[in-house]
Amino acid sequence: MSLVATRPETGEARPYAFPEIRRASVAGGEIVAAHMPGHLLASASLLLDAGASRETAGREGTAGVLAKCLEEGTTTRDSAAYALALEGLGAELSTSVDWDSFRVGLSVPVGVLSRAVALMAEAARAPRLDPADVERVRDDEATALRMDWAQPGPRADAALRADLFGAGERYGRPLNGDPASTAAVTVEDVTTFHESWLKRPGVLLVAGDLDRLDLEELGAAAFAGSGGDPLPVEGPLGVPIAGARRLLLVDRPGSVQSTLRLGHRAPERAHPDYVPITLAATVLGGAFTSRLNHLIREVKGYTYGIRADFAMTRRFGRFGVSSSVQTAVTAPALTDTIGEIARTRLDGVTEEELSVARTWRAGSLSVDMQTPGSIAGALATLVIHGLPDDYYPTLRKRLLETTAEEVSAAAAQHLHPDALTLVVEGDAALIRDELAAAKLGEIITSEV
Amino acid sequence: MSAQPAPVAETGYPWPIETARLDNGLRVVVSEDRTAPVVAVNLWYDVGSRHEPAGQTGFAHLFEHLMFEGSQNVAKTEHMRYVQGAGGSLNATTNPDRTNYFETLPAEHLELALWLEADRMGGLVPALTQETLDNQREVVKNERRQRYDNVPYGDAWLRMLELLYPAGHPYHHATIGSMEDLNAAGLETFQAFHAKYYAPNNAVLTVAGDVTPVEVFALAEKYFGAIETVANIPAAPSGHLPGPATSPVSETVTGTVPAPRVYLAHRTHPFGTAGYDAITVLATVLGSGRGSRLYQRLADGARIAQPDYIGSYGVDLAHAPAPLIVTATAKDGVDIATLTEGVAEVVASMATEPVTEAELERAKALLTTAWWRQMSTVAGRADTLSRYATQFGDPASAAYRLPQWQSVTSEDIADAARTLNPESRVTLTYLPEGTEA
Repeated sequence: MSLVATRPETGEARPYAFPEIRRASVAGGEIVAAHMPGHLLASASLLLDAGASRETAGREGTAGVLAKCLEEGTTTRDSAAYALALEGLGAELSTSVDWDSFRVGLSVPVGVLSRAVALMAEAARAPRLDPADVERVRDDEATALRMDWAQPGPRADAALRADLFGAGERYGRPLNGDPASTAAVTVEDVTTFHESWLKRPGVLLVAGDLDRLDLEELGAAAFAGSGGDPLPVEGPLGVPIAGARRLLLVDRPGSVQSTLRLGHRAPERAHPDYVPITLAATVLGGAFTSRLNHLIREVKGYTYGIRADFAMTRRFGRFGVSSSVQTAVTAPALTDTIGEIARTRLDGVTEEELSVARTWRAGSLSVDMQTPGSIAGALATLVIHGLPDDYYPTLRKRLLETTAEEVSAAAAQHLHPDALTLVVEGDAALIRDELAAAKLGEIITSEV
Repeated sequence: MSAQPAPVAETGYPWPIETARLDNGLRVVVSEDRTAPVVAVNLWYDVGSRHEPAGQTGFAHLFEHLMFEGSQNVAKTEHMRYVQGAGGSLNATTNPDRTNYFETLPAEHLELALWLEADRMGGLVPALTQETLDNQREVVKNERRQRYDNVPYGDAWLRMLELLYPAGHPYHHATIGSMEDLNAAGLETFQAFHAKYYAPNNAVLTVAGDVTPVEVFALAEKYFGAIETVANIPAAPSGHLPGPATSPVSETVTGTVPAPRVYLAHRTHPFGTAGYDAITVLATVLGSGRGSRLYQRLADGARIAQPDYIGSYGVDLAHAPAPLIVTATAKDGVDIATLTEGVAEVVASMATEPVTEAELERAKALLTTAWWRQMSTVAGRADTLSRYATQFGDPASAAYRLPQWQSVTSEDIADAARTLNPESRVTLTYLPEGTEA
């Protein structure tokens, strides 16, 4: 006997199904729920139209400070009592702020979800926001950001964002603010943000065994005391493309790697090319066998990993590549990376590469969406982008049916290797001359 | 007002488990669940960095990388391409105890995954080349730079292991290994490593998800049945230690860190023992969540520690007393002595101030949710079953962990806490350049 030499045939596939979606209007708010029979955990999330884009200029970080303040006590109990009540159910609040939304969520054994949602709503709707607590949390957040910014990455991200979207624009500032803007947040900024955006009903997302959950009860708790109309969605920002490549050098003396962030502007999430754009990015830098990971990691050994993607929100998109490479190979790694982006734009993708990208992205819809938490996240995508209940089955079909011609056309249209902003965060004294010699673009010293 | 506790679980594993053993010694575990059309395949090889002799640190982990670079019937780059091309996700990890390999795929691709795993278990050596080794050595060195060398406090775990375990102990060195040893790694060493440890009788294969046990057992025989048993697999050096450390050890690192930080660490009990269950609940009472003693007393109460960087946790190692780690980072203007003293006082309080019913229920509720979160994916279940089969000889024993946590009493915690005395403590301190110790 010996090892089986030939690759096995694929078995018979069971049809793909996204959990059944139920929608309900309760107590002035909307519930979007997914039925996951038999699951022992259930997840709930309050989705509020209170993303970072609603922050005041110079006070970026306000939403993050507010998110932390939600657990500093409510109008009915202090922070210690709140922590004990919530964690006594086995729940921990997860709060997140992105460009389009503010979310407060939790996952717990299904039997205690209604009690957990009541506590979650208490924090979101009626936080105490005692001025002394807000100031302390603000200071802690500024310190935490300073800790974060001592790591490689955040400064490079900030430099790229400012260059692409404009340092004076909200979208040109870091999503979570920087240490200085967070330190500048006032008590009034936080209370005003809460009053303006967190008292609107929003949408309650629920994922779990709905046979064991009462949506009316969950909605009544989530929307109690809320009011106001949904906010209008503003239009896309457009896709300005630079006339030439430029290289921003962020000095990090003593760094043993260079952190690379490359990018340019791209279309918003609702763009009709969303599927072919996603597949092009998967071939270029999404899958393990992508062009970039294959060349930069598996052939050259320059890095532990490199990836490319299109990040797309309601109003804007950006193409980006990120990696950390050994200091000594910074210039060749950049040259090779730009080369692969240019090749993908020029020659498109092959059917062989695309077949991996298609089935991987389609399969991920089953593989990555097993838990109530991940299904709640998928529901959030539906709500934020106004997508229909059959979106995921439709997406799966489109992923599998998109042709190499369509993906190559998307790569040609939406990749701009000659307009990239190249941010390099590393030991400038060691790499500046080499970068200049490589002639990748005008070198600008970034003072992030 | 006390929170009503979550109901006590009678079992932590309410899914079926069936097991078989092939003639070559491979143990096969199957847990059927038809909820979603996906399967998780998980292999634990009972080899980790604890098996590495001096001069070969980092070899088990570097070897894990080589397992993705092709085998007898799978060309270089094809492994990843086949799995992702089937819609699957995959990875592997190495720790001091073991190396695991896992993928989750749409169920119709189960046979592909088993074929790939069998091919690299039985046929890696013929495909292993100097070029692949040289390339992956550079990848791993970049992994070390990215995770440990280029980030503030990144080498804390590496330093703590050396302080917690004596030279020559299998946990003394970190899994990532040293740059010197990685540079010295030769091809023959890795060929021998595979021949020695990557044997069917040194592995557990678990499949969880949308498939029947009968199908899996037949496929396991088809793909793994031909792989030969390896006789005399060398055991790792003994992890036995006579007891807790008998004198305190301290190290202070001054470098480019943004704030003073302290780690207090103790050797406790091996994962899987009653003593370690008590440590797990103790660590949750002490340092998990905003309701924990550390958070309430130092981040909230005394306000000397940064709220995002305070906590305690056990590292679940099974072959020697496992570490309990307690850490805190100073708020602006707080000196390291005040912080360290504050943390030590809270640790001491676990022995001197009985844990209340509310504290205990909070900790158990958090552990219960964490357990069910691990069980909420087929991949999480498969990894758990592989662990219990490998380390305790019976995958079904996974069901006992949650009830055992739930049966820990405040007396158990007080007993465990009394072993965390300053005489057996490792203290690792980081100070920003220019500060005085």
